[in-house]
Amino acid sequence: MKKLLLLLLTFTILIGCVKDDEFLEPIINEEIPQSLQIKELIGIKLENTIVTDRVAMNVKLPLDGKYRIKIRHGLNNELVSQEMIEGEAGDNLLRVYVASLDKSGYMIQLTDEFHNILGNQSFVVN
Amino acid sequence: MKKILVLLVSVLFTLSSFGQSSIDYSPVNTVTQVGDTLIMKFQYFKGDGNSLNLGQFDFEYNNKLLSYISHESQAPNGASFARNNWTGYQYVPKANSDEDDMDVQYVWWRDEAGSASYIGSADWSVERITVQSASALENGQEFIKYQFKIKDKFNSGYDNYNNIIKVNWANYQESNGTQIQAIKSPSAQSLSGIEGGNAGAFVINLKTPNTDNYTDYNYTILDSNGNSVATGNFDESGQASVSGLENNVTYTAEANLKEDATYLDNVVTVSDLALVFAEAIGAGSGPSGGSTTFDYFIQDIMGDVVGDNNGVDFQDSYEILAYLQGVTSGNTNLITQDGQTEDYSGIESTYGAVANDVVTFAKSFTPLDSDATSKTIDLAHGLRGDVNFSHSWEPTVSSGEKATSAQSSARMSMSVGSKFNNTENANIDLISEINSEGQVVFSINSDVEGMVGSQFNIVYDPNVIELENVIFDTGNTMTNFSNVIQDGYVRIGSFDQEFESTVKQGTPYKLIFTPLETIDNTSGLISFRVKEGVKADGTKINFIIQ
Repeated sequence: MKKLLLLLLTFTILIGCVKDDEFLEPIINEEIPQSLQIKELIGIKLENTIVTDRVAMNVKLPLDGKYRIKIRHGLNNELVSQEMIEGEAGDNLLRVYVASLDKSGYMIQLTDEFHNILGNQSFVVN
Repeated sequence: MKKILVLLVSVLFTLSSFGQSSIDYSPVNTVTQVGDTLIMKFQYFKGDGNSLNLGQFDFEYNNKLLSYISHESQAPNGASFARNNWTGYQYVPKANSDEDDMDVQYVWWRDEAGSASYIGSADWSVERITVQSASALENGQEFIKYQFKIKDKFNSGYDNYNNIIKVNWANYQESNGTQIQAIKSPSAQSLSGIEGGNAGAFVINLKTPNTDNYTDYNYTILDSNGNSVATGNFDESGQASVSGLENNVTYTAEANLKEDATYLDNVVTVSDLALVFAEAIGAGSGPSGGSTTFDYFIQDIMGDVVGDNNGVDFQDSYEILAYLQGVTSGNTNLITQDGQTEDYSGIESTYGAVANDVVTFAKSFTPLDSDATSKTIDLAHGLRGDVNFSHSWEPTVSSGEKATSAQSSARMSMSVGSKFNNTENANIDLISEINSEGQVVFSINSDVEGMVGSQFNIVYDPNVIELENVIFDTGNTMTNFSNVIQDGYVRIGSFDQEFESTVKQGTPYKLIFTPLETIDNTSGLISFRVKEGVKADGTKINFIIQ
């Protein structure tokens, strides 16, 4: 019984020593509309999945710097549009303009300057 | 101890009965005959505590056994709905995973597979349905109903109607983006007891490399008096089922591409120009000519864009150059372009054959009750100006091949017998950004060596940005061109008629746009259509953008 109590005590101490930060939820920026809030620390999110003309987009970045936003065909993955942005750490509210894209399914992709993928979302131009 | 066990069992029982949501699909009606209309419904069932606000899924159907007729959204009032479809693709499920696990398959498609999630497969068509709603969808909500015509399995390559519809993945999300776990039911849809269908149903198979757009083509069947006895469009698999033809009667068939297809400006490009120039330098050729860089006699017909029936000469090459440059030449040319097609079609086995020094496009056929193979024809199609066969069928008949391709000139290096359609892939970077002056700059960055020509067809949103300038840095001796085909559509490129100079590496092209409204970024504003180059030996370069 003593051993069991000792074990429990040790476990409790170990739990108590873990940094509180590891249990913290990511901070949600209250200024970002709910439809564009990203729970993760990095990501890309459109306001709507079905889009005509243009749509609001949130790009959440880990650091200030250059990033690429790519639009790929939704089936064969071919790149059809690409821009380079100078983003800031945290949420970046931007837009996607789709009026000149064919009506089809697409994937919007956030990468760093060197094409490492940081986030994806599918969308449809209707 | 007993209490603990009872508690554990109770918790486990509760968890197991709290199942996943599902995408269900099933026939609405009973089908028994070839030609019957199958109505399929696709439906959401709520198996957990989540609220579904976004339902998106892909399914594929066997287009050799089913022909799409129509669809009808069942999305509730106020919900957004979208349908996309692509022909000639089949889903590749994630290896070592449950194919019925829809959210796993979705994540595989979205994040892991890249271009490996779908492979080319002529027998399958993919449909994508998206329903997005501000309010949660109810249990049992139907997404969509489809109508398909049951096709004859005769000559289809299939012995039965098993597994003809399969849902590939499903993206179920709550309004806050939380992914909802889902399964599908059934794993695949099969049909049984389908009767009827025989060799009496006449089938035309369209032969074109433009496989994404089969439905843009139509067919006409004429009797011996030239009267039309059947017309119609090809379906998404490139087939047309024709009824009402009689055995032992000879007909002719032809195929045509509609003149309002959106991609006609992408048919004749700098690669075709290079081939026609090379042929013109070689002093031309007729069907009996030996000094040529073409591989097929049919290219002499397709390259004769001036239409003087004199084979390919410099007039044709300059006509294509003028077309790409956006210059009016004064000729009424036959180049396939926006709003204009000049079609060739014929039975595939003899398409482009040479008989008595004449290139032929035989169109006649005679159905015979005694010969089931006579109830199907393959009809090949080509377009004037498309000498590199990007949108035209490459002949297979041996008499249509040129056996004595020759080095035509010291000025260019088109190799002897080089295939017109040799291709290479090369990486380039096309990117838009806003500069310090608030202008939108679209840069084409290339490290590709040895290109004597290049072309980019670029589409932009003219309501948001206006093209102000095109800056060329291609080298001093290249002939550059940029012409606005229509508002929001510009063609730029370069070509050296001497086949000596090459496009400079670096940033050979830069487009400067002025915003017409305040913008913070440029995503989607500028997209690319044609993006290709050509080397002096005729090799076409397909640009790959990471």
